[in-house]
Amino acid sequence: MMQGMLGVFAELDSTVEAIEELKHKQVGKLTVFSPTPRHELEHAVDPPQSPVRKFTLIGALSGVCFGYWIAIWGSNYWPLVVGGKAISTWLPYTVFGFEVMVMVGCLSTVFGMFYLAGIPRLTTTVGYDPAFSHGSYGVWCECAPEKLAEAEAILRRHGAVEVRGDR
Amino acid sequence: MATLAHPDEPRRPNIATADVQLPAVKDYEQVDREILSILQPTKAWFGGLLIALACLGLGIFSWVYQIHQGLGVAGYNPPVMWGVYIITFVFWVGIGHAGTLISAILYLFRAGFRTTIYRAAEAMTVFAVMTAGLFPIIHIGRPWKFFWLIPYPNWRLIWPNFKSPLVWDVFAITTYLTISTTFLFVGLIPDIAVLRDRETNPIRKQILSVLSFGWRNTEREWRHFARAYLFLAAFSTPLVLSVHSVVSFDFAMGIVPGWHTTIFPPYFVAGAIFSGFAMVWTIIIPMRRWFGLRHYVTLNHLDATAKMVLFTSLVVGCAYLVEFFIAWYGGVKYEQDYFWNRVFGQWWWAAWIMLTCNMILPLSLFSQKLRRNPTWLWILSIFINIGMWFERFVIVVPSLSHDVEPWQWSSYVPTWVDYGLLIGSFGWFFMWFLLFVKQLPVMALAEIKEIVPPKMKHKHKSHGHGGH
Repeated sequence: MMQGMLGVFAELDSTVEAIEELKHKQVGKLTVFSPTPRHELEHAVDPPQSPVRKFTLIGALSGVCFGYWIAIWGSNYWPLVVGGKAISTWLPYTVFGFEVMVMVGCLSTVFGMFYLAGIPRLTTTVGYDPAFSHGSYGVWCECAPEKLAEAEAILRRHGAVEVRGDR
Repeated sequence: MATLAHPDEPRRPNIATADVQLPAVKDYEQVDREILSILQPTKAWFGGLLIALACLGLGIFSWVYQIHQGLGVAGYNPPVMWGVYIITFVFWVGIGHAGTLISAILYLFRAGFRTTIYRAAEAMTVFAVMTAGLFPIIHIGRPWKFFWLIPYPNWRLIWPNFKSPLVWDVFAITTYLTISTTFLFVGLIPDIAVLRDRETNPIRKQILSVLSFGWRNTEREWRHFARAYLFLAAFSTPLVLSVHSVVSFDFAMGIVPGWHTTIFPPYFVAGAIFSGFAMVWTIIIPMRRWFGLRHYVTLNHLDATAKMVLFTSLVVGCAYLVEFFIAWYGGVKYEQDYFWNRVFGQWWWAAWIMLTCNMILPLSLFSQKLRRNPTWLWILSIFINIGMWFERFVIVVPSLSHDVEPWQWSSYVPTWVDYGLLIGSFGWFFMWFLLFVKQLPVMALAEIKEIVPPKMKHKHKSHGHGGH
């Protein structure tokens, strides 16, 4: 059964150093907490690029198609016939294409963010400390029971103000 | 550097607006402590809410009276069938522009001065668009049929005309309200998590837990959040420009003197940003004083916003003058006659209020001393709000009352019902804003923490700015 060790840090550079060593020694899977996004932590964790943009692209393309389609379909199904004027015409319908593209594109972006970030989440308790939203940084190292001592030692060596085991 | 001096020092050299710092804010704990202290209700807040509710009560009474008596109690006088309600609709849509401009466009431009004001501006946007959305419903006279405005295909002979600017408007405003609300709420999620973690009342803690979606401040969450926020900003940027362009089409597509001109979209967008920034001042300047936030919204921030106001004022002023030029150069007699009547005839007083408030008084912002004087900026913001309401009055009423046919020239005098609903709209807007201020952080905690230097074990390592 996997367990974990949580280190609470007051300083940013200590957190970065702890992450780098834990990663280097492959102690376990890391989750890093910070009250605000920091490039230093992102570089230390070195995660893959966020694929949120794919949700944005798919949403925007769906939206622009739907916006044009609803206007063209509505006009053809309930035609307002004016002499010399086309029943459906793309230029004014670009307003619908654009507006619906923005709306669906944005909403799918938010959906993508939620999905990829794993929220909504029912519980925040495992490996989480309320101090992480306030001013402290945290490193949660999920590892096998035999590696817990090593994780604890690394966290303490880099100046964690609190280290505790959790599961 | 100039920005590192005391934030309230009256005169400073010009600064790079992209690098506005908060020298008096030392650490993350201070940010949470000072900004969350605003959430405690005060007597002044209750007083403000009471005034807002009184104004709203007047608006509700006026509306109920109008529903009971019919639309005739408003000041409509054919052919002036657009009046205070449409003017106020355009006014509030315009106010709603600055929020998304500040949060999206200035975000993409990395304008540092947005950080401490964007949350208030975003909330202002949402509440302003909510207010604006009421006025087409009030204007139709029979509000229970408001859903006829929505262009859905149906079998009851209401045929949606997708070539009508009014239908474009419904789509544009709906999209704007949805996206502005989404933008505001997504930005609030990490800050609601801060509230959740500090809350001791179990019921409030539960509510905040639900609203924060279980946000834990992990690197993974921040990474997707930052990316999503960037794309939201990128989408919202053209949206800001499109919404008031579409509103301007309501007029520009009409073959009415003074309306039928291609300058309307940029003119409306610039005017909307101008009025939106003025309303941001109206709200932010008292807030920074009453809540002791002068070291968050510093004089450097106000100076930077003043430059935006000055720039948009010059654009708007240029548009006013170009309108006259177009009328003269176009050689259309009706246009020329209309513009003469607007400025020197029947509506001279309204036009000169507009020109004075929107063109002449903002020229004072060429003075750095006045740009850094919060009292003057607040007074100016009131003048600009008045001037921008009158700009919409001058666009709507003089054109309809002085059309191409002299036999239908007429006048327009708003009644107490019109004024009651206008005052009520301010009550509605400020009620929502005051409630927001006491429930959720009015400044973005996470983003302010990004510009505060983090605690370091090794002092020589300066990591500078974080952020996404």
